[in-house]
Amino acid sequence: MLLLPLYYLLVSSFKTNSQIFASPLSPPTSLSFGKFASAVSDARLDLASLNSLIVTVSSLVVVLLLALPASYALARAGGRAAALIERAFSLGFLIPTFAALVPTFLLAAQLDLFHTRTFVILFLPATSLPLAVVLLTQFMRTVPQEVEEAARMDGAGSLTILVRVYLPMVVPGVATVGILSFLTYWNEYLYSLVLIGPDQAQRTIQVAVPTLRSPLETDFGILAAGTVVTLLPVYVAYAFLQRRMEGAMIGSAVKI
Amino acid sequence: MATTTIPGTPASHDLSGDAKRPRSRAQRAPRTTVMAVPALLWYAVFMIGPIGAIFVISLLRWPGMLARVGFAGLDNYRAVLSDSLFWSAVHNSVVQLAVAVPVMIVGAFMLGYHISTRPRGYQVLRVIVFTPALISASAKAMIFYGLFAPRGMINHLLSGVGLDGLTHTWLADTSTAFGCIVAIDVWAGIGYTATLYAARLSAVPESVYEAAELDGAGHWRRMWGIAFPMVKDYVGVTVMLQFLWTLFTSAQNVLLLTQGGPGNASTNLSFLVYQKAFLQSDLGYSQAAGVLLFVFGLIGMLVIRRAFRQSY
Repeated sequence: MLLLPLYYLLVSSFKTNSQIFASPLSPPTSLSFGKFASAVSDARLDLASLNSLIVTVSSLVVVLLLALPASYALARAGGRAAALIERAFSLGFLIPTFAALVPTFLLAAQLDLFHTRTFVILFLPATSLPLAVVLLTQFMRTVPQEVEEAARMDGAGSLTILVRVYLPMVVPGVATVGILSFLTYWNEYLYSLVLIGPDQAQRTIQVAVPTLRSPLETDFGILAAGTVVTLLPVYVAYAFLQRRMEGAMIGSAVKI
Repeated sequence: MATTTIPGTPASHDLSGDAKRPRSRAQRAPRTTVMAVPALLWYAVFMIGPIGAIFVISLLRWPGMLARVGFAGLDNYRAVLSDSLFWSAVHNSVVQLAVAVPVMIVGAFMLGYHISTRPRGYQVLRVIVFTPALISASAKAMIFYGLFAPRGMINHLLSGVGLDGLTHTWLADTSTAFGCIVAIDVWAGIGYTATLYAARLSAVPESVYEAAELDGAGHWRRMWGIAFPMVKDYVGVTVMLQFLWTLFTSAQNVLLLTQGGPGNASTNLSFLVYQKAFLQSDLGYSQAAGVLLFVFGLIGMLVIRRAFRQSY
């Protein structure tokens, strides 16, 4: 039951409509990539993949640049303010991002960044900050205090300590945050649709692929091929990081 | 010169405090809290701000993106609560949750248990089961768009086994459109939850099951009598997770597959919020419904938390 839709997707991407309608489950007769080529040229998936890549990578950079200093600060500061800030981030787990769609849209319009990738790159990191900060703070706490004190004796500043001492020791945490954020950013649909809009030069691949449907007659082979294209990067990442990916998702679920 | 690198700290301030700082640093934790400020600001501007804005907009009369904004007080709420469309959306959301969540949890547990017994080819099974958690909403919707198409796989299979009478234009039929959305919810959520349960159950030593078998416990009994209590602490978590996901994120499936139709047969609460804002440009109404959705989610979460408290 779980497999059937995926199998159907894969075999359809090599077949024509009449083949799909006549024998949906039989394996394709030829392994031609024609449907993939059509999908790419019809919906400009080349541009869309590039946009998705830009959005995903930039957002990842932003979230790490923000979350790493923050979690270092929260892990080491003992004050009341720090406790409050940490609490604010952990409450973020309770906010469903969908709820803020309309105000976010208005904010984009206010900033004159409506219908651009730029706003999405600014916005997406905020959605994964709660998880990133809470998770990394826990990792940072495991770094022994003595290591930091020794570095301070040698005259290292906070930023140097973060980069030279902490960063190498929290690599697993960074990887977890990276994986989860990568999945969120690459797979994001609704916000990208509303904020970036239909512009071919800006839209992401998740927004582009559904446009392969046509109200008159959809070529299901092309649609399936396009969908497969959106899945490829995720599967490549999964192939390399299977254990860590499952671990990350299980861990983050239990945090909620 | 440690502190010059801290963002947000003016350099002059730094120089004046230079003489005293090193000593106090050795005694107390270093004052690094400022380094959390950029992240906090970002979070406030893009997350907290918009969430707060929902409540403000819900009190405004805002009949279109470019229209003049006026104060409406509670008029929007009155409009929402007296609208039969809102109540049918509530009805749909409740049905969706009542069907999808229990089916998902029970199915996921059985599937997770099956994986944890390491049947032949369970490695492949694990990947397949995890897939829906990896792929995007639009990819899922496109897969099911093909499945449910008038000449798609489901109709083909039905006529293949002689059930021609059951073939449907699934997504365009009032009686089945919303059922399709719920089916996708279940398909999308079951695997992830199963992975969660399987990971938990893989820690159970084989000898526990062997002992139970010696005591005469059958397969069914071992599954529900022994394995289930072990994952009980996850049940509350997964119920809450799937409750929130189903409630909030299924707007995407509705948008991609049925646009709330035919008629309003598949309009649920989260899609209503989207529809009123972006298709009918009534921001006040949309955000009043959004606030009610938010409250609904919050109450549901508290109820679930309370119901599963014994298992924590």
